[in-house]
Amino acid sequence: MKTARSPRSFAALTLAFVFAGIGGVRAQAWIKYEAQPGSKVRINGTSTIHDWSVESQMIGGAMELETSTAADLKSMKVKPKVEVAIPVRSLKSGKKPMDTVMYNAMKQTDHPKIEYHLTQLTPAGTGTAADSYVYTAVGALTVSGVTRTNSMTVNISRIDKTQLKVTGTTNLKMTDFGIKPPAPDLALGLIKTGDDIKITFEWITAQTETATKTP
Amino acid sequence: MKHLPKTPRTPTVNRRDFVKGGSLATMMSLMGGVELVAQETKKDAAADKAAGPQVKVGVIGLGARGREVLGTLALQKDAAVAAICDTYAAALRRASEAAPKATKHADYKEILANKEIQAVIIATPTHQHREIVIEALKAGKHVYCEAPLANTLEDAKAIALAAKAAVKQVFQAGLQLRSDPQRHFLLQFIRSGAMGKNLMARTQWNKKLSWRFTSPNPEREREINWRLRKETSLGLVGELGLHQIDAALWFLNSKPSAVNGYGAVMHWEDGREVADTMQAMFEFPSGLTLTHASTLANSFDSDHEVYFGTDSAIMVRGNKAWMFKEADAPLLGWEVYARKDEFYKETGIALVANATKLVAQGDKPVEDAPFSNTPLSYALEAFVANVNEIGAAVEDFNATFNPNDTKALVKYLSEIKRQPAAGFKEGYEATVIAIKASEAVQKQQRVLIPKELFALA
Repeated sequence: MKTARSPRSFAALTLAFVFAGIGGVRAQAWIKYEAQPGSKVRINGTSTIHDWSVESQMIGGAMELETSTAADLKSMKVKPKVEVAIPVRSLKSGKKPMDTVMYNAMKQTDHPKIEYHLTQLTPAGTGTAADSYVYTAVGALTVSGVTRTNSMTVNISRIDKTQLKVTGTTNLKMTDFGIKPPAPDLALGLIKTGDDIKITFEWITAQTETATKTP
Repeated sequence: MKHLPKTPRTPTVNRRDFVKGGSLATMMSLMGGVELVAQETKKDAAADKAAGPQVKVGVIGLGARGREVLGTLALQKDAAVAAICDTYAAALRRASEAAPKATKHADYKEILANKEIQAVIIATPTHQHREIVIEALKAGKHVYCEAPLANTLEDAKAIALAAKAAVKQVFQAGLQLRSDPQRHFLLQFIRSGAMGKNLMARTQWNKKLSWRFTSPNPEREREINWRLRKETSLGLVGELGLHQIDAALWFLNSKPSAVNGYGAVMHWEDGREVADTMQAMFEFPSGLTLTHASTLANSFDSDHEVYFGTDSAIMVRGNKAWMFKEADAPLLGWEVYARKDEFYKETGIALVANATKLVAQGDKPVEDAPFSNTPLSYALEAFVANVNEIGAAVEDFNATFNPNDTKALVKYLSEIKRQPAAGFKEGYEATVIAIKASEAVQKQQRVLIPKELFALA
């Protein structure tokens, strides 16, 4: 996501911290983890003839962790800032006509991105892998221009010193986002997709700059 | 300006060349041809077409081939011809009728400077490709370059390397048969081993025509007849034959190690320097041979390809093909139910004897052939679709990840599903083979094609 990296928004963030510092709040340093190639998102759905799925490797955006939280993922005392964006047209089923049906249903030209903004992250235990933790994430999910609050369980784990992996699964209904489950004009209209879909993702982020200290 | 091997897409034309026999006597000598036809996937009118936004295209070079490109693009929803270019004002005027909305240019660099234009199609004479392709790639355009890519090894390599380096752009070589769905169907069929062991193959392109264009202006006449001069043309084998030769190499999954050439000006003695009648025989490491024969002095049997295997032979004519099984070939199963067409390769005598009957039989209704578009239209459709796909992928990648991470971008792009089309590699290899074959025909001798020639580094 370009905005997350643009100098202007970065300056704005820095400015916010400056004021926060003046206000007497404990000085914070943040580490930014930017989205990396190698991520994966998959949407599974159903239809009257067979189940379907679409995939993308494009999960953009960034996660900013306060340094102490970055060091201790388990406690996550300070809420991280997370912005995620997925370009709709990068979602592919491998069948072009079906992709077109999906893009049209999602009004891709008007709303080219699926966006997510984290509002709350609550620790919920330890994951199965080493240095991996489970949280309940609440955020604003925008699909096809409609924003809904979403709550899901996510897992954050360390790949190495500089890389973090976030995985999760959430069930959604197309109609919640104003999307009419497509019934493409194919096969005499006998194909109709189900309203329920399941999103599974694996998001790789990496520390691209060193911690930014604020006064 | 290159003509692709042009079999009219209506099978009725074959009546002249191939004769249907009917009497018991001729029946005895007939071979049953099992027609191999790809099943046409249902075109999802709503979904499949106009999937992406319109690609703005510039067409450079407006000879007969350039005009054919314009005519084909005019029928495609996803492409809009935004600019056309030719150095010759009359050609520009004539072509603008087919693309009334396009801006007209005498200098192709004006098209390259236009940021609105995403892709260019280069249909200039072969020897002018290099400079235009390289400048176009430098300007960030997606490029469709007619085949052969060039008439010298040096130019071909320069083009291929430039295309290879332009990882964010689509480069398509004008080997349009590589995008033809009927050919893809045949490819699977041939590669599946239904022919048994491949023995030999032959391709042919015959048409009685001079290949010469006329112009009241002697300078112009010289320019438009670049195909008739050694220094600018690869002759019949290189300018036309390479499409069929490339398709054969693709099917046979092999590259020749040597080529023997024969050719002469047999009929059109108008001062031309390239043979009007030629044959080339390609040798393969496995012992397989491929012959290409072509003449501009006789049109018999038009253009077609035949593959011979131990179990069957396959004949390809335009968008149709037939298999001819050997008596001892294993039963495949489906061929029992397939439609059979009967062929009879006539001799002079037989033709006279059956003339009346044959004419009558030719009036039988012929079922519609699937995939009746021209290969060029499939190739341009693939090009435009790939430009949309790759263009969108690059844009999304740059917006999502670090745009300087070329390695990750290349990996990402390599996983994008593209429409089948000849890329720089296929274009380069076919061009190398065309150049060597042309050399063999000119020298009337055997010319080696060392493997190293195909390396692109």
